[in-house]
Amino acid sequence: MASAVHILGIRHHGPGSARRLVEALDELSPTIVLIEGPTDASDLLPMLADPAMVPPVALLTYAADDPARAIFWPFATYSPEYQAACWAMRNGATVRFIDLPAAWRLAPPEAPESDSKEGAEQSAEERPSQEANPLERDPIGALAQAAGYEDSESWWRDVIEENPAPGPVFAAIADAMSALREGAVAEGREAAREAHMRLEIAKAVKETDGGVAVVCGAWHAPALSQKVSAAADKALLKGAPKQKIAATWAPWTSPRLAFASGYGAGVAAPGWCVHIWTTARAQIATRWLTRIAASLRGDGHMVSTASLIEAERLAMTLAAMRGRPSPGFEELREAAIACLCFGDALLWSTISARLLIGAEVGAIPHNVPLAPLLEDLQREQKRTRLKPEALDRELAIDLRSESGLDRSTLLHRLTLLGVAWGKLAETGRTRGTFRERWVLRWEPEFAVQLVENLVYGPTIAQAAAGRVGAKLDQASDLKQLADLVHAALVAQLPAATERGIALIEKRAAQTSDCAELLAAAPPLAAILRYGQARETDSAQLNGLLTRLLIQGALALPYAARGLDQDAAKTLCAIIRAADGAVALIDLSEVERAPWREALETLVHDGQATPLVAGAAARLLYEAGALAPDAAAILLGRALSPGRAVIDAAGFFEGFFEGAGEQLIHDAALREAVDCWMQTLDGDQFVEYLPLFRRSLSNLDRMQRKRLLDALLGRVETSLARRALLPDAAAIWPAHFARLSQILTARPADE
Amino acid sequence: MSDTLRLPAEQTFASELEALRGGDDENKPQGWALSPRATVTYLMGGKAKNGAPISAKYVGDKRLIETAIATLATDRALLLLGVPGTAKSWVSEHLAAAISGDSTMIVQCTAGTDENQIRYGWNYAQLLAHGPSRQALVPTPLFRAMEAGKLCRLEELTRMGSDVQDTLITVLSEKMMPIAELNSAVYAVRGFNVIATANNRDKGVNELSSALKRRFNVVVLPLPSDMDEEIAIVTKRVGEMALSLDLPAPKNVAEEVARVVAIFRELRGGATLDGKTTLKTPSGSLSTAEAIAVMVGGLSQAAFFNNGKLSAEGIAPNMIGAIVKDPVQDKAVLEEYLEAVLKKRADYAEYYRMLVDLV
Repeated sequence: MASAVHILGIRHHGPGSARRLVEALDELSPTIVLIEGPTDASDLLPMLADPAMVPPVALLTYAADDPARAIFWPFATYSPEYQAACWAMRNGATVRFIDLPAAWRLAPPEAPESDSKEGAEQSAEERPSQEANPLERDPIGALAQAAGYEDSESWWRDVIEENPAPGPVFAAIADAMSALREGAVAEGREAAREAHMRLEIAKAVKETDGGVAVVCGAWHAPALSQKVSAAADKALLKGAPKQKIAATWAPWTSPRLAFASGYGAGVAAPGWCVHIWTTARAQIATRWLTRIAASLRGDGHMVSTASLIEAERLAMTLAAMRGRPSPGFEELREAAIACLCFGDALLWSTISARLLIGAEVGAIPHNVPLAPLLEDLQREQKRTRLKPEALDRELAIDLRSESGLDRSTLLHRLTLLGVAWGKLAETGRTRGTFRERWVLRWEPEFAVQLVENLVYGPTIAQAAAGRVGAKLDQASDLKQLADLVHAALVAQLPAATERGIALIEKRAAQTSDCAELLAAAPPLAAILRYGQARETDSAQLNGLLTRLLIQGALALPYAARGLDQDAAKTLCAIIRAADGAVALIDLSEVERAPWREALETLVHDGQATPLVAGAAARLLYEAGALAPDAAAILLGRALSPGRAVIDAAGFFEGFFEGAGEQLIHDAALREAVDCWMQTLDGDQFVEYLPLFRRSLSNLDRMQRKRLLDALLGRVETSLARRALLPDAAAIWPAHFARLSQILTARPADE
Repeated sequence: MSDTLRLPAEQTFASELEALRGGDDENKPQGWALSPRATVTYLMGGKAKNGAPISAKYVGDKRLIETAIATLATDRALLLLGVPGTAKSWVSEHLAAAISGDSTMIVQCTAGTDENQIRYGWNYAQLLAHGPSRQALVPTPLFRAMEAGKLCRLEELTRMGSDVQDTLITVLSEKMMPIAELNSAVYAVRGFNVIATANNRDKGVNELSSALKRRFNVVVLPLPSDMDEEIAIVTKRVGEMALSLDLPAPKNVAEEVARVVAIFRELRGGATLDGKTTLKTPSGSLSTAEAIAVMVGGLSQAAFFNNGKLSAEGIAPNMIGAIVKDPVQDKAVLEEYLEAVLKKRADYAEYYRMLVDLV
């Protein structure tokens, strides 16, 4: 016996549509609810109504042999599909997906039926529906846009729900879609999908006496009610690809529901959708403005209740001027800017992301099937021949071999995902070497941590890239960004690396904090210099680093003024590190010049903090840009009696910090200091004495002795003046044999 | 042809207003000469109901104008905010012309404006002869606008002292102005409202008190978003000004305008025009009006000191004046721009050389 079929055309992620759908279901109370979604994931559908399942969540299907080929179907609370599933579970109705099996779309790209359009879509993951045609994806949005609405929910409300001649909403939509589709014949994948849905509906009708409700995108509504012979439909479904798939639920986030995140069928403002879904219709404007006010107040801006009243009045007048029955999203936004933000669109944009996008994160129950990340990990472990073991195991990796690089990449990616399976034995960077030493130890909780990363992607590579991307968005200063880029580089995540570099460029242009600019230089220089073991795009990085150095150099003279002791010490350390970076990379003389000039400016700038000026002079001296006699004159001037002792002391300290060793070996410098000291008379010398003591205090006894020896000419410290014995070559083997014996001999008493 | 140097908007565009009024059958707020929708058409251009073309008075975002007009329709006061040279006064004049048919009720606020120029003054001869009376009262434009139910324009609101600004609070919230001396008050007739303009970049002289700010709806008018549009505006205005100053216009004006506008837009927008490099922005506003001033300065330098040749040599010093408003901060911004961007551009070599010398 045939039962009644109700085709309910909905708008994906449309709260207005969801509200009407629930009402319609309550009224029809069907025994079977069919939802547009992959049939082969139907058995997962009841889980959606599990109380532990908190939207936004996504249905994730992926090719069993290659999780990188994956498709997500996200659901929000206000998704009609989600509400339909919940309704069905609440009312004991059978619920099923009826769209083409996911296997069709997860088949390898060389599958015969995939034309170029489909191919392009398969490469882009996380499309819930494959409609390439924007009209087909969101026909209601297209109608709204044509009517001059930015927000299709407002249009839905104004035109469909506030229609002066109320009628059955779903019939009206079906009519509108029939008109839109008139003349267009469904072909290719779309025809197959609709054929499949028709067959599934026919099957459901045979099963039950009660009603059958079909929840599908509005676009498909007319096609599903068409009378087409089952044979014709079956003909369209020939040649189904053989592809084993796996499906599970993954937690989702509201930013990733947003259109801006690259999710093709997303909504412009998830936050606004949640608001409409959760708020009674009469209060939408008032509550939305109140939320805006609360956000502004949270940021410390003053918003009075009177302003809220004015904002609502303005929104209503605007709506009237535009001939709309009630203020929608746009009117509320413009009113909020004019009345609450005092016309300042910038202020609005500081709160709009929080309001419009939201930050909800979904949660999934514990009994969902195994996550693809774990499967991917097992596959990777097999491929790289690394076994998870619960005990510490050391592993030395040679990055020059392909297998070594693979292993290192996997470990680095896992580290990025917060799964510390391997720990790098040497702390700090793998400086200049192509070796890495890891200590491996697998802990059971790593599996849980790994699954938590599912929100970033279905494979380890994708998840690591996604997570670095998220961290990059949050990173607030250049140093953090540079470190993240370094991490992305060693984990072989080129897209994330590129994005990080672009972000550094942007941030570098915005900051004028010299210390921040210069602090970012050393990690970047390390990538450039030591990144060779991995593939990097050095040209871009080189340009960026040069730019950072130029910017830092220009800002340096101003940054070095009026610093206290601690700040000056910090800046000195940064300048030394940056100078190291300059020395580390290949820079032309022209590119190096601004840095040199900045250091010279520091040395000669009377306003520069003496400690920093001293450090700059020292760096110039080491680079050979300051001749020893010039250095002597400079020292003399900086330490001349006219200067306050504390300034002179600062300069001396900056210049000689850690330079005791240099004094031992550098005769010219020693000479210069010696000359200057001899010009001091007795009182002056005594005055400076504490300063000298402090500067040279980091020399150990041996070093002091050698310095004194050198000064008093007792021993020639320079190797250059020593002559080689004429028969050295002949007697060396004998010496060497004797030495080896001494060195390898065991103590006599053992 | 009138002898008047410049006529108010309602006279210059009388025929357009007439055409719009003729076909205007929509709901009008009381006291308005045009309906809000017809006012939008008058500002943004289009066609009147009878097909007469209406020229565009404001080129830019229609939504801003809609918000402005909706504000006036709610009897809230309107504050037009923007850097100098963004057509604030122009928009305010045309709004008043369209809505009240009269754009002449205007108070130019300055640091010297006192309460008597906002509320009412006294005719002292009358006052001494007959004592305080309505006859002895000298009404201000605001006073007259309240009585007549028209729009009153306050130019450069923030230039006037905060204490004087605050006399507006009662007028804006209670739509009445007490005359304590006569123990009476003037009550605003329907149709009365206030359009104020203020500069949001160089903070004027006085901050707007938050009590007053709350009584305004604020619409910020932005700088032109399109490069070609801005070049056209600058070229046109420079031509007009050169004419009125009797300066000969050399042939290469258009090219130099394009360069100056490009540099201004890059610094103002904080990014190179190709979008590849982000930049810092200087503290000055670098508005279209300033680009015009730089070009006119360059022209006069060319005419009087450079045998009529317009070159980077004459323009660069003017540019420095416009860009470097803060000797330390802006100088660093400019240096960075010169080194990171201009140095690499062959066709800007002259500008680079001159600016580097001058910085």
